[in-house]
Amino acid sequence: MSLLKPKIHWEQDYSPKFLIGGIIFIFLIFSLRLWFLQILKGDYFAKKARDNRTRLVKIYAPRGLIFDRNGKLLAYNEPAYDLAIVREDCKQKGLNVYLQYISRLFGLKVKELLEIIKKNKFRVKSFEPLVLVPNLSFRDLARVEARSEQWPGIKIIVRPRRKYSYSKPFSHVLGYVGPVNEQELKEDDSLSGGDYVGKTGLEKVFDKVLRGKKGLKKLEVNALGRVFSEQVLSPPVPGQDLVLSLDWHLQCKIYDILKGRAGAVVVMDPDTGQVLALVSSPGYDSNKLVLGVDAKEWKKLLKDPLGILQNKVVQGTYPPGSVFKLLMAGFFLEKKAKFSSKDVVFCPGYFKLGRRVFHCWKKGGHGWVDLKRAIIQSCDVYFYKESQDMDIDELHDFALANGFGVLTGISLPFEKRGLIPSRQWKLKRFKAPWQRGENLNVAIGQGYVLVTPIQVARFISALINGGFLYTPSLFLNKKQIAPKSIPINQIHRQQIVEAMIATVESPHGTARRLKIKGLTIGAKTGTAQVVKLKQEDRGKKIHEIPYRFRDHAWMASFGIIHGRKYVVVCLMVHGGHGASGAGPVVRSIYEYLSHRTKGTNK
Amino acid sequence: MIDRRLVENINFQLLFIVFILFFIGVLNLYSASAYRLEQGIGFTPFFLKQLIWGGIAFGCFFVILFIDYSHFKHFAWYLYVLAVISLALVFGFGKVVYGARRWIDLGFFHFQPSELTKISTIILVASLLSEHQEVLDVKVLSKIALVVLIPVIFIVKQPDLGTALLIIFTIAGMIFYKGVKKNIAKVLLIIFPMTLPLFWFCLHDYQKERILNFLNPSRDPLGAGYHIIQSQIAIGSGKLWGKGFLEGSQSQLRFLPEKHTDFAFAVFSEEWGFVGSVVLLFLFCFFLYQILQIAFKAKDDFGRYLVIGIFFYFFIQIVVNMGMVLGLMPVVGIPLPFISYGGTSLVMNFILIGLVTNVSMRRFIFKNT
Repeated sequence: MSLLKPKIHWEQDYSPKFLIGGIIFIFLIFSLRLWFLQILKGDYFAKKARDNRTRLVKIYAPRGLIFDRNGKLLAYNEPAYDLAIVREDCKQKGLNVYLQYISRLFGLKVKELLEIIKKNKFRVKSFEPLVLVPNLSFRDLARVEARSEQWPGIKIIVRPRRKYSYSKPFSHVLGYVGPVNEQELKEDDSLSGGDYVGKTGLEKVFDKVLRGKKGLKKLEVNALGRVFSEQVLSPPVPGQDLVLSLDWHLQCKIYDILKGRAGAVVVMDPDTGQVLALVSSPGYDSNKLVLGVDAKEWKKLLKDPLGILQNKVVQGTYPPGSVFKLLMAGFFLEKKAKFSSKDVVFCPGYFKLGRRVFHCWKKGGHGWVDLKRAIIQSCDVYFYKESQDMDIDELHDFALANGFGVLTGISLPFEKRGLIPSRQWKLKRFKAPWQRGENLNVAIGQGYVLVTPIQVARFISALINGGFLYTPSLFLNKKQIAPKSIPINQIHRQQIVEAMIATVESPHGTARRLKIKGLTIGAKTGTAQVVKLKQEDRGKKIHEIPYRFRDHAWMASFGIIHGRKYVVVCLMVHGGHGASGAGPVVRSIYEYLSHRTKGTNK
Repeated sequence: MIDRRLVENINFQLLFIVFILFFIGVLNLYSASAYRLEQGIGFTPFFLKQLIWGGIAFGCFFVILFIDYSHFKHFAWYLYVLAVISLALVFGFGKVVYGARRWIDLGFFHFQPSELTKISTIILVASLLSEHQEVLDVKVLSKIALVVLIPVIFIVKQPDLGTALLIIFTIAGMIFYKGVKKNIAKVLLIIFPMTLPLFWFCLHDYQKERILNFLNPSRDPLGAGYHIIQSQIAIGSGKLWGKGFLEGSQSQLRFLPEKHTDFAFAVFSEEWGFVGSVVLLFLFCFFLYQILQIAFKAKDDFGRYLVIGIFFYFFIQIVVNMGMVLGLMPVVGIPLPFISYGGTSLVMNFILIGLVTNVSMRRFIFKNT
């Protein structure tokens, strides 16, 4: 080793210094960091830790109750119990042991449970409850609770669940609630995931009123996420209750009368527009929908041949058939030049327009008929003849003024407006001008005309209440302040109403089977063709024709029972002839109403 | 036979610190596994398991003392080949846990070949280094690089990036200690910073996520950034004196994830505060210092390089784990020696301490060979 040229000896001279320096360096750096976190920002993090422990939790506002006009409870809330698992608390036994326990208890597959956990793994933190089995029965609840000591990872979550007292008869009016979806969350800031909102019916329309306002509470949570202190910051505002104009007993009675056949019935108080019963049959089990149905079951509901999900009273549009003749009568009386109700027309059973032949429903014809007889016997030829020269656009405007082809404004969702054709409409739809022959079809409520049962009920109400077109109401409100009037004057309304009464009273009247001793009832039947039947099918009995080709049966009526007026409109989907298809239903309703009124009067 | 001089030359200061650290770890686990129930305190038996593992680990430590470390020099290659073969076997028969294939199920226990790799690589590199008197040239360096890269590639593929990096940095530390030729050092100094960006592209997405989350924890506060944020809250809220034993709300209330394993230091910091944390930090530094002292006093090059390797092995783990828990480094799954829960790593650590003690007690024993 040369003294003059000292050789650098890295391993002996420098490495040890670097290593010891490294130790000192990390000691300083980490101490500094600890000082920064614990001393300098200690208070900040201490507050953060406190915030961690305290959680702001929403308090659910109880959803408003729904009552019928007599205070009968129709929709209420009951506690529902969900079984949830807190993964952190399962570590002692192991998650698998827990899942096996749950699968034995409920007969579920471990694989399915694991699937649920996998799906929610990131959304639900390991110390938060993850719902595995929703809506426990009381029996299951008792079984779980009995052994809860040994299974600290299992939690029971209580939440309010909507329950409907009479689910099927009221399903279309009340609708149902379900978990909020993405779309609804976007539209409404006050909603949060997992909330229940009205999906259809009154639950949907009055969702905001029924829902109330959520409250807020501060929770201090300890181990296992158990709450050891609770402080309400803002109390929840309960949802408002709704009192409906519906009569639960009448509604249920009508639902029973329909026996699950496809049909729609409205009972209205013509003087106020209040709806006493609004039945669409068949109804669905709204309680089942609240629990949630799987995709397969939902598909089955959607494809139901009887249209189980559709509220036929406001969403179903049907050709009105002869019921439309009431409006036509009003039209002739009001708008047709040189028209007199005394004018007679000879009905040989058919009517020729150019080379085309239009048949009357009665093969042999009605002979000489005036307007009243034409309504009583529902003579088609009379209406063919009187309408052949009419201006369809004038009729269109007249029908709209009588509430057809427009929304009635009833507070139910997805209402349809139906269809009243006009020249402009035909040009737009078919790119063809209006044909004279089409007037004839419209005159008997066929062709393009489509109406909803609620529109018919509203029109009949206007005929007997002094001409007021009320918005049908489902609530016990007062009379509408400024209702629209229909463009049919008092005398003409009287003529139509008298003809309707005669339709029931007269031995030849098409609605004679509605005749009930002691009651004043007026009605008009309607048999609406769905398709033009082939000649050979004409004579066939109703059950010989395939269901979907059968005619719709209408019965539009009013009745005065012990001084009280009712409007009852019934449509039986593919029910055949108006009188025989819908007549018995309406008769049963009047019998029931009469029987009940007698009872209360005594 | 063990003669008196062997016992006299054991570095008892080191052993003392190791046992203190181990018992701090057990105590801390006791707290981490305790959670307040509505009635009393319940425990999951992590600390008990750790105590049992500690017993096993101490047994291994004791056995190691009886084998003269210089024998390992001759076994170095066999051990190394065994490790590489078992790593290869992991691909065929390995058990998949958390999406990674790291274990071989031997029936009675799970064998983790990467642990064997750590020891065998350190021993082999120590023996390679001891064969050369001068600072390293390219030839030796590439030989070492080859020896290290083969098992490391297997481990990266498992995937277990943490262990792979630990081995690479440990060996790099040993080379740093030994020194390389000046021109090689210059080249390395230039090339290393240039390869860093390249390294980024080799990372898995989740690894990139971790690094991005480290740089900005608030970008995903409930997901990947959750660990970092909660860990800092736990430590910070401990303040000067801490919340007291069994009183750490962050860990007791389970806001802190992985509190038994990687984030055990955060539990300790929360309950013992700045004072306790600095004391623990000092104990670790003193522990490292004692290992260095043994290295410097070793009787031969192999012993010295072996202990230096072990020094780096502990040094890197402590730096990475504490750095991660303190929010100074990205989240990498490396436990804190003696404090974190984990049987395998505890046994490993005690075996390594056994080797260090082995070197220290035989520093005056010279055999004629």
